[in-house]
Amino acid sequence: MPNEQDLIQRLLKGEQAAYRELVQQYQGAMRAVAIAIVGSASADEVVQDSWLAVVRNLQGFAGRASLKTWLLTITANTAKSRLRKQRRDVSLEDVSGPHGTIDDARFAADGHWGRAPTLWHTDSPEALLNEQALRECLEHTLATLSELQRSVLLLRERQALELPDICNLLDISHSNVRVLLHRARLSVFATLEHFEETGEC
Amino acid sequence: MLKCKGLVALSSDLLDGELTWKQRIAVRAHLAMCVRCRRFIRQLRISQRVIRQLPDQQAPDLEALLKAMQAQQQRGAETDQGNAQK
Ligand SMILES: [Zn+2]
Repeated sequence: MPNEQDLIQRLLKGEQAAYRELVQQYQGAMRAVAIAIVGSASADEVVQDSWLAVVRNLQGFAGRASLKTWLLTITANTAKSRLRKQRRDVSLEDVSGPHGTIDDARFAADGHWGRAPTLWHTDSPEALLNEQALRECLEHTLATLSELQRSVLLLRERQALELPDICNLLDISHSNVRVLLHRARLSVFATLEHFEETGEC
Repeated sequence: MLKCKGLVALSSDLLDGELTWKQRIAVRAHLAMCVRCRRFIRQLRISQRVIRQLPDQQAPDLEALLKAMQAQQQRGAETDQGNAQK
């Protein structure tokens, strides 16, 4: 990417505005990776250490990987080396959000919908997000997901990472990523549906 | 025959393009005749875009971080000079 090359040149020259741009653009993704591995309590520290490692190693970044992949790999490595204990087991425990999920209760015995999805008042994400109460409600739902589940969701949806990249960064299997992602999406869906039905969180 | 419940179980894989061709055919056939599942998938895609656009929470302390990075960078530059003089 020409923009990326340009940004790297400016970083190497020590241009402060370039550092600011870099941090603003990638901080969110780095945080999601750090939270998934060490949990949110030490995530900020890991992110800070990762940024210092980025500065130290920038000269050696040859552009073989994309800048984003390189930054996230540094973050994952920093996070993993911080884990003193054995890595926590990947918990596949089903943590659904405060508004539940789309589970068996929604279906009749024959496998068809029992309580079918209600029609939302708009197809526009912007219109939905216009409501402050809904934004807060979604934040609340995200906060109640497990840290791993939330990170996988954010890395996939917001950071648009491919599933194999998520597997590699977080050291979890492809099928586990799919399970985590699916449950997180259904919790978000259930939250939106609940809000559309009741107008409150 | 794929039922609504089965379709919901495959919905995330549908969004990510992870279905086998057999599953894809079954999903398409089901969606062609089931208006409720069409609505579910459409709204699942909307909620996907909602998460994408949900405003990011700001970095805790951007200015302090940038300062630390600048200090790190200057240390690096001094080490380079030191090495060059050797
Ligand atoms: Zn159906």
